[in-house]
Amino acid sequence: MKYYARRIAFYAVTLWAALTLNFFIPRLMPGDPADIMLAKLARVGRDIPPAVEQSIRLLLGSDTGEPLGTQYVTYLGRIFSGDLGVSVTQYPVSVATLISESLPWTIGLVGISTLLAFLVGIAGGIWIGAKRGTWVDGLIPASTLLQSVPYFWLALLLVYFFSVQNSWFPRIHAYGLEFTSGPEWSWAFVGSVLYYGTLPALTIVLSSFGGWLLGMRNMMVSTLSDDYVTTAEAKGLRNSRVLLTYAARNAILPSIAGFGISLGFVVAGSIVMEQVFSYPGIGKLLIQAVQNNDYALMQGIFLIITVTVLAANFIMDLVYGFIDPRTRHNG
Amino acid sequence: MLRYTRRHRILAAVGFASGLAIIATGCSSPSGDEAGTEKTLTVFAGAQTPVVANFNPFSPSPLAGTTGLVYQPLFHFNRMSSEDAKPLLGTAYEFSEDGRELTIDIRDDAKWNDGEPVTVDDVVFTFTYEVARPETLTDAVAVDEDTVKLTFSDPQFVNVVGLLGTALVLPKHIWEGNEDPTAGVNEDPVGTGPYVVDEISGGAYTFTANEEYWAPPALETVRYLAIDGNQAAEDLIAAGEIDYTSIFSANYQSLVDGGMGYMVLPSDPTVLYTCANADLGCTGPQTDPAVREAIYLAIDRETITEKAFVGLTTPMSPTLALLGRDDEWIGEGQPHEDPQTADPEAAGEVLEAAGYSKNGDGIYEKDGVPVELTMNSVDGWTDYNNAGKLIEEQAAAAGIKITAGTFSWQEFSDGRQTGQFELMLGFMKTTSLADPWQIYNDFLTTEFTAPVGEQLDPSHFNFTRYSNPVVDEAVARASATDDEAVKAEAYDAIQTEIVRDLPYIPVNMNAAQTFFNDTDFEGWPTEDNLYAYQQTGSALDMAYILQNLKPAGK
Repeated sequence: MKYYARRIAFYAVTLWAALTLNFFIPRLMPGDPADIMLAKLARVGRDIPPAVEQSIRLLLGSDTGEPLGTQYVTYLGRIFSGDLGVSVTQYPVSVATLISESLPWTIGLVGISTLLAFLVGIAGGIWIGAKRGTWVDGLIPASTLLQSVPYFWLALLLVYFFSVQNSWFPRIHAYGLEFTSGPEWSWAFVGSVLYYGTLPALTIVLSSFGGWLLGMRNMMVSTLSDDYVTTAEAKGLRNSRVLLTYAARNAILPSIAGFGISLGFVVAGSIVMEQVFSYPGIGKLLIQAVQNNDYALMQGIFLIITVTVLAANFIMDLVYGFIDPRTRHNG
Repeated sequence: MLRYTRRHRILAAVGFASGLAIIATGCSSPSGDEAGTEKTLTVFAGAQTPVVANFNPFSPSPLAGTTGLVYQPLFHFNRMSSEDAKPLLGTAYEFSEDGRELTIDIRDDAKWNDGEPVTVDDVVFTFTYEVARPETLTDAVAVDEDTVKLTFSDPQFVNVVGLLGTALVLPKHIWEGNEDPTAGVNEDPVGTGPYVVDEISGGAYTFTANEEYWAPPALETVRYLAIDGNQAAEDLIAAGEIDYTSIFSANYQSLVDGGMGYMVLPSDPTVLYTCANADLGCTGPQTDPAVREAIYLAIDRETITEKAFVGLTTPMSPTLALLGRDDEWIGEGQPHEDPQTADPEAAGEVLEAAGYSKNGDGIYEKDGVPVELTMNSVDGWTDYNNAGKLIEEQAAAAGIKITAGTFSWQEFSDGRQTGQFELMLGFMKTTSLADPWQIYNDFLTTEFTAPVGEQLDPSHFNFTRYSNPVVDEAVARASATDDEAVKAEAYDAIQTEIVRDLPYIPVNMNAAQTFFNDTDFEGWPTEDNLYAYQQTGSALDMAYILQNLKPAGK
């Protein structure tokens, strides 16, 4: 029990530290957001009536005159009541609304693709591990190559072949334009979402399953040479049983830990893909926020990312403490 | 599971295809197939995902279309020509002799899109509404049922576009009593424009024709797409899924070959901002006009156009007037166009005449101070970054050392607001009226600058800290008159000063590329009939164009 208490305390402190950094970092950045926004509007050729200028100034109130300490306390209080402020880029929509609209897209798409990449990688790793030393080993460098190709490049290649050259898959967005008033609960809509998600998901799967494949294959190779596996083989157990219940079950442990960590990065890890496909997720919002010095939005997104990473790690910690008793003792 | 998914994917694909047929995107769409439903015009005007409903004209970034399609000003001013303003809600206007009184006639058959009639009270309300009220307005009254008279403390001749061409008319019955008009998203906007908001999803939003409009538009539906990044937009143009957009594409030829209409228009001047005024705290060799002139002469504009701007830019005038449109405002004997090729010898002569001589490194120096400058452009604006490198080489050939670097937008913006720079590769904004007054006023007068280290007001653009009593006086003289001869004389005086002083060293006119579908839609502005500025970034022009389009062959 002491183990769990210690972990919980550790995560509480980490969360606080993250929240605090989250508060200070944007405030230490240079530049007056109001000037930047006005200059941007001018750059795209928009006429700026004095009324708009005035409202931008009021809204961004570059210097509120409040001491930093007071602002910090207000900030913490508001976060715990779920109020993340108002976005400047999408003024006057609240940050919480923007995040809650994008989060399902990111979690759905990136979450499922991460899981798919993991499953494909693990299954492939078991298979290649079992047939080590044959031609299938050649698949490893091929998958590593896919992983080392820059992410956006892979995305653009997919777009070029499957969407521009042959219009098999749509180029942008998360669902079809025929749903003119947004998401709805219908089979047609679900189908549209799957169809539109195919290329983005393929990008993620192709570029990340290689790591799982390599890791799993190597663990398989070393586990397969363990004495207990040899014993199992000597007992004359079925090959598949030796492979799956004896070798793979032990070999998968490090991959599961790794999977926990990569789940934590689901929310943050999709920026490039979302940009290429105009996918309405969190990564896109983050880019917009950074480009426009939208402090409130940035903070809100960092907060969500921090919390998901911490939560994923926390859960993995608990699960690990449960599966592997050794981790519960001081080593 | 897999099979199930795949079946649905196919279903979705079928649905998508038929959706496409209705949205009908360029390539296919047999015309008899969808009798009655015409093709939706699809526009990309810079919207990003996710689309969030915001049609508040006072908000800093309402969705494109709010201005122009729903809310309209009284007149349309065409910045591409010097012709008269086109009537929208207003039918005629007249200034009093001294420019302090403006009488406007209002259309008597106009209606708000909620069915209420548009009255003079609405117009009076618009100009006196607290957030929109012009500073110099002293009085606004309805003279009769369709005439409004505005009175000002200063002559308003030069401000005519701001008053009649960009101020959006608001319905009194909706906005009156709204304590905080800048807040809120105004989800159901009531305006006088040719379109009304229809539907919004995360990736697109649509407008449909306003049947109440006094001249109902021919196009039933206009859809705005949200796209992140130019690459996606370019792919969609190639696929025929975008009908109208202005994006930069180095690859434009293949899009044109693919059947898109295409037009390049001169838009914003690219210039070198110099921190010119030592009296206001500028430091560095560029505070010497001789150095600025030498740089001006050393630039090979032809090469820059070819190599950095893929051949798309056009020459600009050292007088900062827009060539073609503003020709009549370029004074007798003033240079018309910048030299297109470099003249390093002439640059050297200018420096030598000012007392500079070459040092051991081949760089000119005076009093032991070599002419060494830093010049920055915004990181990622590749055309500007490349131009910077070219200018660095060209200046070196003339014995001037310029180190070209890049800045984040933030540093760039900070630098020009506070004047802490030597040279920056920047831009000016084209004026919306066929008259260079606004550039002279905003970029060159003492009133619009501040000492180095002090932030400029965001509507003040005199980044170079230039201050010249002759220019100040001439600008004031031009703003107080409607007499063309007086104005021309004032502009000539300004031009003499700035052509000599070169606080902004002209590079070239940046080009704005626009792609449009001229197969399914007609009525676009053409080179011979530029009835509006064909840029989707310019909301009012774009709306004016949409209102003039019709399906091809009808």
